[in-house]
Amino acid sequence: MTQISLRGLHKVFGSTHVVRDLNLEIEDKEFLVLLGPSGCGKTTTMRMVAGLEQATYGEICFDTKRMNEVPTQQRDVAMVFQNYGLYPHMTVAENIAYPLKLRGFTESQREEGVLKAAERVDLGPYLQRLPKELSGGQRQRVALARSIVRKPKVFLMDEPLSNLDAKLRVAMRAEIKHLAYELQVTTIYVTHDQVEAMTLANRVAIMKDGVIMQLAPPEEIYTNPINLYVAGFIGSPAMNLIDVVAHEGYVEAVNGLRISVTAPRQGPMTMGLRAEDMQLTSESDAAFTAEVYAFELLGDSTMTTFKLGLQSVAVKGDKNIRLKFGDHVGVRFDASHLYWFDNESGERIRSTLSR
Amino acid sequence: MKFATHPLNAQALIPGHIDTASDHFRLWWSQMMVFVGICIILLPISWLFLTAFKLPRDVYALETAFYFTPTLENLQTIFEHPWNLGNKILNSFAVAGGTVLLAIPMATMAAYAFSRFDFRFKKTIFLLVIASQFIPAAVIVLPYFLMFKQLGMLDTRSALVLINMSIVLPYAVWMMKGFIDAVPLEIEESAMVDGAHRARVIWEIVVPAALPGIITAAVFSFTLTWNEFLFALIIGKQDALTLPIGLISFRTERGDLWELMAAGGILITAPMFFISLLVQKQFIKSLTAGAVR
Repeated sequence: MTQISLRGLHKVFGSTHVVRDLNLEIEDKEFLVLLGPSGCGKTTTMRMVAGLEQATYGEICFDTKRMNEVPTQQRDVAMVFQNYGLYPHMTVAENIAYPLKLRGFTESQREEGVLKAAERVDLGPYLQRLPKELSGGQRQRVALARSIVRKPKVFLMDEPLSNLDAKLRVAMRAEIKHLAYELQVTTIYVTHDQVEAMTLANRVAIMKDGVIMQLAPPEEIYTNPINLYVAGFIGSPAMNLIDVVAHEGYVEAVNGLRISVTAPRQGPMTMGLRAEDMQLTSESDAAFTAEVYAFELLGDSTMTTFKLGLQSVAVKGDKNIRLKFGDHVGVRFDASHLYWFDNESGERIRSTLSR
Repeated sequence: MKFATHPLNAQALIPGHIDTASDHFRLWWSQMMVFVGICIILLPISWLFLTAFKLPRDVYALETAFYFTPTLENLQTIFEHPWNLGNKILNSFAVAGGTVLLAIPMATMAAYAFSRFDFRFKKTIFLLVIASQFIPAAVIVLPYFLMFKQLGMLDTRSALVLINMSIVLPYAVWMMKGFIDAVPLEIEESAMVDGAHRARVIWEIVVPAALPGIITAAVFSFTLTWNEFLFALIIGKQDALTLPIGLISFRTERGDLWELMAAGGILITAPMFFISLLVQKQFIKSLTAGAVR
């Protein structure tokens, strides 16, 4: 029901330009993830949507209505904060009921809403506790319940999982995904975790220095990164990026290793290759051979790392492979899986061979 | 009027923990120091309590220092003519209570503004608020006297409330700013997103979260006003006399009436004592309910 338009948005704090000319159309019911390292302006952008921060220039619209001058209280957004933002002196039930209380709901309506929201996030037995008596994951659920107790126009989530331990994070991620599917509310989700972005988003906006680098569905971002920055940010492990000098019929890595591939042009550039797009092979049909720098068992697969000069190359392999330090192994890959980037600008160099 | 709750270092008191002679000595020494400290604090107070129940002839006699026939006569006499302490107790409560009731809400708002808003000369203004207390009371007592004389407010409780507010407010603002600083901004923003306007955010979120600080400031302000002497002496004449002034009326041309002064002393101490007991409980409760990070 709500489409968000950000047009020519700027935010300047003193002498730092945090967000620069940001343009973004978020569709109704879309789950959009703002992804980037700390200080890239993603949280500031979200806070401007919430009204907690004023835009220096530019326009924020919900549907066709300009929101810049609408105070936070009247924007009808719900937000989950990184540190949850729970009210310490209120019980779980009171915390969840607070948005309803502010909207003048009666006692019985509030109670009903609280029970429904609490049930949705499995908080039933904890309603009478104070936030300090809950674990991190439970607090997170309270914050979620408080945001879904009413139906807001827009959901905003500011790194909601970053304070949880790894295991809980994975579980909560799935819950948030399911919740988003159930509620069908336009959502902006801020994170620096690319896995969260990949798993949750309809579209991901990768930000750097206040600018959106690429805005696309996760799959597109993964298979078709627009530049070196996006390529290095997405994927676990991140894409292998190797500085090479391209010659006719082969490229030469920093340590002098020659790899027989055809580059889209000659001269220095960066070659990108994902770990899962390479295979370990015998030395005879290898694109290059190298000494094993590290070998890791991951359970469902293995990860073998090589060093080319200072740069490392990780290759994902079958779970049954066993290698030792110092083994010489060949690496093979399909040339269609190669990505090429300009060293200077970081821009992708498209060739007929690569996608 | 402080009731400290610092426990002794528990480790040092566990017998199994003492394994050398020097540890032994240190323990003995620290216990001695605590004992001396307690004596210094409690001796005058217990002396006061004993004296309050003595007949005039027992007050100066050494042999009846601890062993005497107690009487409630003094506690009765001080409420009679010419002492009329009942009146003065009422005044003290009115002045201290009025000051706290007015000063604390004002200080809360001011502290909130200093803590959360950005405005020009914020640091300077805050410094000026504190600096107002660097002026000795004796310097401004005369201007105050003349001012209230002009206003026809001499010997009124409202004049005392106003003066005490000027004393108490800067301290209260300063104390409370620290407590409000400690309330995470995130819960305020959270409340705003939930739909609360600034006033509700302050009343329903910030005030409860900063309650330990507010109570501390209130008790502090009450104590300061309750014990205030100089201004009460200058402004008060007959109708607006407070307890501390009542106490010096026991210094008569017939000499100092110690037993009556001690009885009055109990009256002046009692409310502070009960407030401290009450607040201590509440204070610890609110402290442990601290913000969730």
